[in-house]
Parts: sequence; structure tokens; C-alpha cells
Amino acid sequence: MMRALCMTMLLLCVLPAQAFNLGKELEKQFGGDKTKQEGGLALGGTSEQEEIAIGRQIAGNILGAAPLVKDDKLQQYVNRVGRWVASQSERPDLAWHFGVIASDDINAFAAPGGYVFVTLGLYRQLANEAELAGVLGHEIGHVIRKHHLKILQQSQLIDLGGKLLSKKVGDNAGVQKLIGSGAEIAARALDKNAEFEADRIALVLAGRAGYDPFGLVSVLQDIAQVSKDEGSVALLFKTHPHPNERLDQLGLAIGERLDGIKGKDVAQRLYRIKSK
Amino acid sequence: MKMRHWILLLACMPFAAGAWAGEAGAMLKADALKAAPFRDAKTVGKLARGAQLDILKQQSGWYQVKSGKQTGWVRMLSVRRGAMRKGGQVAGLAGLASGRAGTGKVVATTGVRGLNEEDLKSAKFDEAETKKMEAHAVSKDAARKFASQAQLKSVKLDYLPKPQGGDQ
Repeated sequence: MMRALCMTMLLLCVLPAQAFNLGKELEKQFGGDKTKQEGGLALGGTSEQEEIAIGRQIAGNILGAAPLVKDDKLQQYVNRVGRWVASQSERPDLAWHFGVIASDDINAFAAPGGYVFVTLGLYRQLANEAELAGVLGHEIGHVIRKHHLKILQQSQLIDLGGKLLSKKVGDNAGVQKLIGSGAEIAARALDKNAEFEADRIALVLAGRAGYDPFGLVSVLQDIAQVSKDEGSVALLFKTHPHPNERLDQLGLAIGERLDGIKGKDVAQRLYRIKSK
Repeated sequence: MKMRHWILLLACMPFAAGAWAGEAGAMLKADALKAAPFRDAKTVGKLARGAQLDILKQQSGWYQVKSGKQTGWVRMLSVRRGAMRKGGQVAGLAGLASGRAGTGKVVATTGVRGLNEEDLKSAKFDEAETKKMEAHAVSKDAARKFASQAQLKSVKLDYLPKPQGGDQ
């Protein structure tokens, strides 16, 4: 019964699901082919340098839509917390960048190569540093599991018949061609399972960093109460499973597994933004 | 009357300890009420699905709640926060007072715009902002120092396995 339901849900998000499966298929075909990999963007063959070039282009586009909040102390604070959380991951040495962007929307974004954004609207919802760690941890999860990169790789292979990118890295126009229009990739839904995975990673990375791992749970419970009709969550709800579904999935994954973990919430240090 | 009092209290504490402080909720599923926030703590009661409660405090995965005459700890994920009271006004007031909304309702206070799909699609690369973002980068060492200032220490913790879809 449950399995049937899962299948249905999978089918419901046909595009990403299909992309993932196709990816696997393509990987089988191209995985062993060195010449194609050296070309750059064949699956599994994207170098870190290419990944960062792609991520930087997406990040710059997101910033074109919403610039950084003009508060250096805030930006510095978020980078310190984010870098500490990212240091708990299997990619601690990536050049991680974090930013709070000027939007009242409640949302957060990740771009390949370690670029992570939180909107001002979401930041204002946070009650303590552990909650920030949880939110950043979710985005870090997307980066370390290369969720967006996989979608790009697959659509590139599908759309352009496997034309390769490497010559174009370093050339913004070339990278831009690959990622589509502006930062539309940031507005695209990932596979649901990628979101659930990023949630699980978020709790663990926050916990590893010494924070209360349940910070993200609290944030999701907060957002779960925002009406679907509220404009500030329109994009978030469109691109992510409903917070209640994410909480359900987390509940199933956690069980009693985090029972021994006593993290800190670090409420007093949370950087407060001046009202205007 | 009691509720008024409560609103006033919130208004006076612009930054309450957590989003949940003083918030209402209900049980998502039946669960044990514990004397302390851990599994082996004494069970002091049982809360039925749908039982109304007030959240007093949060501590690593547990909420301290008051339900009827009972007070104790329940697992966070057994609780659905808010929405039980006709919450709109409460949320609005709390939000205005704190700049963030106690019950998750968002109050547009800054006049900063939203960020929708169209904005993202039509966005143009901003080199200056990108450089600014990159300039804020923090080294691993600096981050570790910052963490230790708050007595944060690395903990060994395995990734959570993907749950086997089921009702359990």
C-alpha cells in the first residue's frame, strides 16, 4: 500500500524522477568512457573546478535577483556558522560561501560548488543558531550530494546530445548556456527524495557541529503554519514537499537514533538584524 | 483575558527563547509524557492524538508541554505546533513586536520584495555582489575558533538512513 503510494508520488514528479533514472542509464553508458569524461560534463566527470564555475554563475544570477543584505556583520556571522557546519561534511575543504539575500520570501537556495543562500524572510524566522545551522545544513546537503549538478548534467546530456562543456568553463556565456535562463535552476523542484535526504543530512551535520540537531525541525514546524496562499512561501512550497511531509519523513528516519545527542541551541549568539 | 495577558507578555519579550515559547499545539499522534527529556525518563502520563497543549520549552528533540493539568516532556515530532487557537491575531501581534512571527505567520515589515520564479528566471549575473559574497568567506580554522567560543565541539554522528517507507 505504502509502496504503491510511493510509486505514485514518484510518478507525480515525473521530470526530476525521470532525470534521475535517465542519469543512471547514461552513467552506465558513459561512465567508463574516459574521453567523454575528460570532455568535462559527462556524468561523474565534472571536475570540482567546473562545478564551482557552474555554481558561481548560478550564485551570481541569484544575487542578480536579490542582492545581499547590506549588513557585513550578518554576512560574516552566517559564513562562520555555515563554514563550521560544512566542515562536518565530507567536503570540508570546498570554498564555501554563504549569504543572506534581501527578500521577504521564506526560502533558501544552494548552488553547486558551495554557494548557499538564505533569504532575509527566513533568517528572521530563526530563534537560535542551531536553527540557522539546520537551514544551512539542508543546503549544504544539496551541495555535497550534488543534487543540482546532477539535474544540470542530465538535462545537458539530454538537451544537447552530450555536447561537452569543459572548453567553456571560465567563459560565463558558455556556463550560462548550460544552466538555462538566469537562475531558473534555483526555481526548479528537485526530486522529493533529494529534499528528504538534505533534511536528514541537515540534522546530522548540525548535530556533528555540536548544535541541537532538531533546529531544522523547529524551523519546519514554524513554516508548516504559514498558509499555502501566503506569497512569501509560494516558491518554497512549489519546489519542496510540504513541511508536514518533511517532518513525517524525518520522524521515520530519526526514531530514537538521536536520543543520546545533547546539542546546544546557542540562542544568545544569534545575530539579530536591526528592524529596518 | 488570559490570552490577552499572554500576548502582552510576548510583546514585552521581543526575542523569546524560541519560536515555540508559549505557543499552542496539539498531539499529532498518541505519545508518552515523560518527566524529563529523554527516553528512559519516568512516564508521567499519556497524551492522546489531538490533545491540546501549550509548549513551554524545547530541548534536543523534546518539548516541555502543559496539557490540561499535566506537565511533562514529549517528542517534538509527535507535536504539531500552533493553529489550535484562532491564531491570526496572536501571530500578527507577536510578529510585529518581535520582527518575526511567533506562530510562523510572516509579517512584511521591511518592504523588501519577494523572490518568485520569474525573478529568478530573468535574473542577470551580478559580478559585484558575487565578489562581495566571496569576500565574506571564512576559513575552516576561523570557523572552528568561532564554534569553540560558544563551546561547540564536534560530535561523531552517523548519517541517518533513508527510512523504509512504512507506517512505523
